[in-house]
Amino acid sequence: MKKNVKIILLAAAALFSLLLGIGVGSVFVPPGHIVAIFANKLFGIPLPSGLNPVTQGLLLNIRLPRVLLAFLVGAALAVSGTVMQSVLKNPLASPFGLGVSSGAGFGAALVIVGGLSSGVLGSFLLPVTGLSFGLATVLVAVAFASRIDKTLSNNTIILTGMVLSLFINALMSTLAASSPGNAQRITLWQLGSFAMKEWSYVWVLLPVVLLCTLLFTRYARELDLMTFGEEQAMAAGLNLKQTKWVMLVLVSVLTGTAVSFVGIVGFVDLIAPHVVRRFFGSSHRVVVPASALFGGTFMVLCDLAARTLISPSEIPIGSITAIIGAPFFIYVFLAGRKKG
Amino acid sequence: MLTVQNLSCGYGQQEVIKDVSFTVEAGQKLCVLGPNGCGKTTLLRAIAGILPSTGTILAGGLAVKTAPRKQVAKKIALMSQLTSVYFSYTVYQTVMMGRYTHIKQGLFATPSPKDKAIVLNCLAKTGTLDLQDRQITELSGGQLQRVFLARTFAQSPQVILLDEPTNHLDLKYQLELTDYVTEWAAEENRCVVGVLHDINLALSFASHILLMQNGEVVAHSPMAGFELELLSQVYGTNIKAYMQHTLKRWE
Repeated sequence: MKKNVKIILLAAAALFSLLLGIGVGSVFVPPGHIVAIFANKLFGIPLPSGLNPVTQGLLLNIRLPRVLLAFLVGAALAVSGTVMQSVLKNPLASPFGLGVSSGAGFGAALVIVGGLSSGVLGSFLLPVTGLSFGLATVLVAVAFASRIDKTLSNNTIILTGMVLSLFINALMSTLAASSPGNAQRITLWQLGSFAMKEWSYVWVLLPVVLLCTLLFTRYARELDLMTFGEEQAMAAGLNLKQTKWVMLVLVSVLTGTAVSFVGIVGFVDLIAPHVVRRFFGSSHRVVVPASALFGGTFMVLCDLAARTLISPSEIPIGSITAIIGAPFFIYVFLAGRKKG
Repeated sequence: MLTVQNLSCGYGQQEVIKDVSFTVEAGQKLCVLGPNGCGKTTLLRAIAGILPSTGTILAGGLAVKTAPRKQVAKKIALMSQLTSVYFSYTVYQTVMMGRYTHIKQGLFATPSPKDKAIVLNCLAKTGTLDLQDRQITELSGGQLQRVFLARTFAQSPQVILLDEPTNHLDLKYQLELTDYVTEWAAEENRCVVGVLHDINLALSFASHILLMQNGEVVAHSPMAGFELELLSQVYGTNIKAYMQHTLKRWE
């Protein structure tokens, strides 16, 4: 199949998943009504008589922001995973390995345990604190790596990131244990959820995801070179250390923003790049945007499963991504192996 | 073409290359020989500007250590020994990566017709033209090294550094690869510095020899005037006797 056709199919799947996510739930909204509601909101076209205005409110204020947020978070994590694997030339690398998630988690735990609130930040206090702690952790990890190894080699980055993550995770566990009343809230935050999120989160995440995805696509040839290893990339003319810094900072901002809004949703960052490369090859010009589409689609479907399977209860999204993701990942790999 | 003056470098406190100086003229193929650990690979990495060093390196008139990486890559290309590839690209995409420094940057930047023509030419020069749509993860070691050689050519450098490019290759592919390099070096304003593990292959490929021991130059001479006896001293084993013994099996 031609690459263009595959991309169009993927985009169609993404659109379909969005419609599905918006339509299916405690109240089913058929596609015709979804279109009518959008037409009413955007162009003032009157709603058909059979449509309950409550449905409109539910769709526009609760379901749509939730589905869009899921898509954006999925896209952000998938793109981050793709870039990390290439930058570190390691198919098991993950943006979480840099300490973004543990840092963000620790920041969130501090807010929860401290019972902090801020008039200015409002509901943004938790994500803003999470993001700041996440970014600070990465900066410390990379600065430390660059201090002990001037060339900033991949192994050093992976190692310092891992050590720092473990250290901060330990701090977080200690914090949770010392405040039993909040332990459950901390754990739930870590597992992630798209429930009760506002439109404002979407408006923050949207530009970040768009901009980062575009920038990574712009750096496609640099990322291509980096997958061949540090020596080859430098010999081909890449300013390796500088490019690596830029990539790591962008990945941290992207991942950090995503996890600080919804919690630490794992697995997408790991499987999305592998699945996408299986179908599109490794060229980052295609893989970066395709990862965004695939990650978004996958996350919307996982969130759909999370809120409908044991309704009215919800399964934590982090569990769903792993439960669906792991068998899917193995299937894609085995299917690919038979063909090859 | 390539001038190396008082070059020293190493890892951390340990100095691996000690005050090395030599020049390579256009058309020459210099082979660096010496026992394991004498600093051959380190020397190449320093010349390519990948390892920090002290001293002067001039390639095609460019000061390697102070010039921007992109400029250096237009003068010097480095081809390493065979490594496994994890990420799959087509052969054509892989060779096009050699054009990295020549293609303008930007979100919508694409290779020019000139870049495409050069890539096809490099594929042809390494006998990989009919592999161009294959995935590099599917290739044999011999094919893969030819593709990487094509990528090295596509960089359009004046100096090519070869770091044991024939390791793990069968004899046939070793000869093939060195033949392609010889052909490349025959054109104007080009030279090669190679580290080849196999002494026989090195001696038949080289126009000049640089013999090293413990990070220092022991001898630098044209192939014709090179005293083979020096090899036995430096390698610490009677190479001549070994070669003669091997030859006897074939008689």
